[in-house]
Amino acid sequence: MSQDRGHRISNAIDSLITHLIPSDPRNDEQAAQERHDACFDLVRSILERPEPPSISTDVNHASDLIKRKLIQSNPSQALRFSNLYTRLLSLPVLNQKWAILYLLYQLSDSPDPNEPLPLSPLGQPVQRAPARFAEEKRSSKASTPALPIQEEDEDAFSDAFAPGGLKKLPPERPRYSQDDESSSAPETSPKKQARDVSLKSILLADNSADYEPSETALLRDLPFTLQGLSSTTLPFAGETTLKLPPTLPSPIISLLHTLAEPSLLFRGLSSFVKSPAKGLLGQSLRAAINSELRQYLTLVATLEGQIRRALSSLDQNAPHGGIGKAGVTLKRCVVWTREATMGLRLMSLIAEESNNKRGGQLISLIHGFSTSHGDPVVASFAERLLADLTRPFYDILRRWIYDGELSDPHLEFFVREQSPNDKTQKETKAKGQTSVWNSKYEVVDAMVPSIITADFAQKVFLIGKSLNFIRHSCGDSQWVEAYSKTSSKELKYGDTATLEAWIDEAYKTTMQRLMNLMSTRFHLFDHLQALKNYILLGQGDFIALLMESLAANLDRPAGTQYRHTLTAQLEHAIRGSNAQYDSDEVLRRLDARMLQLSHGDIGWDCFTLEYKIDAPVDVVVTEWGNRQYLKVFNFLWRIKRVEFALASTWRKCMTGSRGVLQTEEEKVLQTWKSTRGVLAEMIHFVGQLQYYILFEVIESSWAELQKNIHKEGCTLDDLITAHTRYLTSITHKGLLGARRRQYHDSMKEAAAQLGRDTAEAAEDKNSYMIQLSELLRTMLAYRDSVDGLYSWSVSDFTRRQEVDATGLTRGNHHITPTNDGDDVFLSNSSGNIKSEFPALQERLKQLGLSFRTRLQILLGDLAYQPDVDMRFLGVSMNFNDVYQPVRRKTKPATGSGTTPAVAVAGSASASASASVSAAKA
Amino acid sequence: MPPSNDRSEKQAAAQLAVDILHEISTILNCHLDRRTLSICISMIENGVNPEALATAVKELRNEAQEVQIEAAGAGSSSTRARR
Repeated sequence: MSQDRGHRISNAIDSLITHLIPSDPRNDEQAAQERHDACFDLVRSILERPEPPSISTDVNHASDLIKRKLIQSNPSQALRFSNLYTRLLSLPVLNQKWAILYLLYQLSDSPDPNEPLPLSPLGQPVQRAPARFAEEKRSSKASTPALPIQEEDEDAFSDAFAPGGLKKLPPERPRYSQDDESSSAPETSPKKQARDVSLKSILLADNSADYEPSETALLRDLPFTLQGLSSTTLPFAGETTLKLPPTLPSPIISLLHTLAEPSLLFRGLSSFVKSPAKGLLGQSLRAAINSELRQYLTLVATLEGQIRRALSSLDQNAPHGGIGKAGVTLKRCVVWTREATMGLRLMSLIAEESNNKRGGQLISLIHGFSTSHGDPVVASFAERLLADLTRPFYDILRRWIYDGELSDPHLEFFVREQSPNDKTQKETKAKGQTSVWNSKYEVVDAMVPSIITADFAQKVFLIGKSLNFIRHSCGDSQWVEAYSKTSSKELKYGDTATLEAWIDEAYKTTMQRLMNLMSTRFHLFDHLQALKNYILLGQGDFIALLMESLAANLDRPAGTQYRHTLTAQLEHAIRGSNAQYDSDEVLRRLDARMLQLSHGDIGWDCFTLEYKIDAPVDVVVTEWGNRQYLKVFNFLWRIKRVEFALASTWRKCMTGSRGVLQTEEEKVLQTWKSTRGVLAEMIHFVGQLQYYILFEVIESSWAELQKNIHKEGCTLDDLITAHTRYLTSITHKGLLGARRRQYHDSMKEAAAQLGRDTAEAAEDKNSYMIQLSELLRTMLAYRDSVDGLYSWSVSDFTRRQEVDATGLTRGNHHITPTNDGDDVFLSNSSGNIKSEFPALQERLKQLGLSFRTRLQILLGDLAYQPDVDMRFLGVSMNFNDVYQPVRRKTKPATGSGTTPAVAVAGSASASASASVSAAKA
Repeated sequence: MPPSNDRSEKQAAAQLAVDILHEISTILNCHLDRRTLSICISMIENGVNPEALATAVKELRNEAQEVQIEAAGAGSSSTRARR
């Protein structure tokens, strides 16, 4: 049986050998036989060695080994293996399943015999003496890498195959038994891939030719280079150049190129950090970059430690300094510094760009990197920089929104104090619209960093401005201090939502406080009301009383007016009207004075009421606003005066008509009748005008203003805007500043055609104003003439009475003889009438006509106004179509109104009688 | 008939076993072809120590490669000689 077995085994060995060892066609029979025999002996000797005791005969042990191995290398195959294994166990045929599995395990991952591995470019293929038995192998394996004796006869072979890097025989590894393998060098690792990698590194290390300076020397100097310091092998030639030794092979040069980048960037950046900064943000940028550089230096320090350790453990005898095994090579250094290089690159980009940027622009620049850069590394890096960089900015912001102080020595904030010689400011100053509120600070749009929106910036600006205003103009610094103490918060970059919430809160508080101060402490709304009541003639009884008491005084020339009489009359008017119940605060500010007088003015032309506005309130009622108020007041005052004059004349006529004005003379009666008609027309006109201005214009604008300023969350800015709009609408609708646009255009055309300059256009600017004052002047002149007529009538009346009286006494005493004398007297008196009356009649007629003409032109203009209210004024003046509005087709010659006056004279006179009757009705 | 039947059954079973084992050897990267595998199986069935057999197989493979390289070297040198 055992013989049989031995026989069978030898048969099997035979067939195994013939199967595995290919026959060499060129070798002769005998050599093949020899080889076969040798192999046979070898196998037999192996097989007949006594079994190592370590192998257990447990079936599961082998399968466990395999499974563990597969799970490590290839988990999916492990499952497949356990399937196969259960199937195998269920088979009845095999007795030694574990042994077969163990065999497979032993042979696993063995190199494929048909495609020999691995590469051996330059050379020393491992020993391949034809007959080498395991025993010998084991004793000689310590000297594995190169056996000099064999190298020689390898040369021919390697020469032949060197360029192609021919295949190398499988290493001896398979010949070792398992326990040897586990203790041997790393390249005999059981895994194929691992083996490949380590082999490659060995090959590379072996491959590299010697060069000077060696890689170890370069490695030793590398940390210095990375810190930007010159070393013997790698000196810095200039600020931005690194000199590489010319003796190095090109792969090393290219590695050094890569390593030179962070070194040079670091040099540049460290010099940037040391350079003096222009502003706080520039300083903080440098600080932020500096801390990043510190991290880089930490990396370099670690790297240096690694290099030192590796170099100290180097085996000097190993080929090429044994650098392959030390674990630190130039390449690894490249890999390790890779990420840091990215950071340095970004920072140097920032440093370069920041040179000509300041403050908010700097933040915008880096914020641009963090938000709009696709690379997440860059974005997060910029974000980190931003946290440090924005610190001074947020400090300034905090001071601004909690203290209302601008502590910005380098002009980096987006709020800036206005420079006094700014061009725009000069302009506004010229217009009288400057105020502490509007002109102290301004927002510089270019400096608003992109981390906050424009809206937000405006809000921030308002907060600080209000605080500053409260503190400096309203004298309420205690509140500001208390406020900044209680609500001051640390502002930081990052949490935009919270920041916005805080700022909103601050905004609300500040605005509330400011409005509160304005309305309670500074009585802003009271002042506005008072301005409307007194300057815009809202308080009727007061104005009426004032006018009555002043009338006699103001009729005299301007030079004879004295301030004390004016103020006394003013006081009297206040005491005598409801104005006395107004608060002292308001009345104190009311003052009457004379404007600058020119020659020939009478008191009416110069008198003005004034309402004094002082410090904080003047941001709302600015100098410009004051002027507008005065303008409106003067206009209204004149209308009022005309009305007053007309009314008194009318009254005189009415009372006179019952007594002194009675006469039998047809001509005189007729004149009086037409005069009364024209007077009534004038009174109607003035009444309409006054109604329009006081109610349609002022009251509606006032209602608008009230609505705007009592809105929820109204800020001082809103208030100022609302007030400005209020004044503009009053002056515009009140016919004070309105241009006749439709004429403007045609006029321009005409001017262009005629080659005139635009002086006329300028003259036409206040056309309504001019027209109205012309009308008012006409009315006053008419009223003077009526007064003249009245006094003529009175004197005529007294003369007639005297004549009657003398006639009566003469008739009583001597009836007949005085006829001649009477005739003489009569002829005398009739001559007297002839001398004065026709002139008066003529003048009245002419003035009435000119009034009507002017009025018709005005109505014509009003009818084509774009503004509805103003058109309505025209309608209400001409409600029964008495007048025929005249549309001026072209610009009349400078003597305005003459041409159309002539043109319409016919129609005017035609409708004169009708109009008189209408006016009477 | 039964014995022959038995035999063929046994052969089929053996075939199956070789199939399975071959698959396992493929998973494990053993680079054994079916013939070698069956020879090995039969040797192990005959009581050969598996570990020794593994060593033997590896040795034989080395041997085979050396033979191949010698043959190749001879071939290339001969071509060079011809040139």
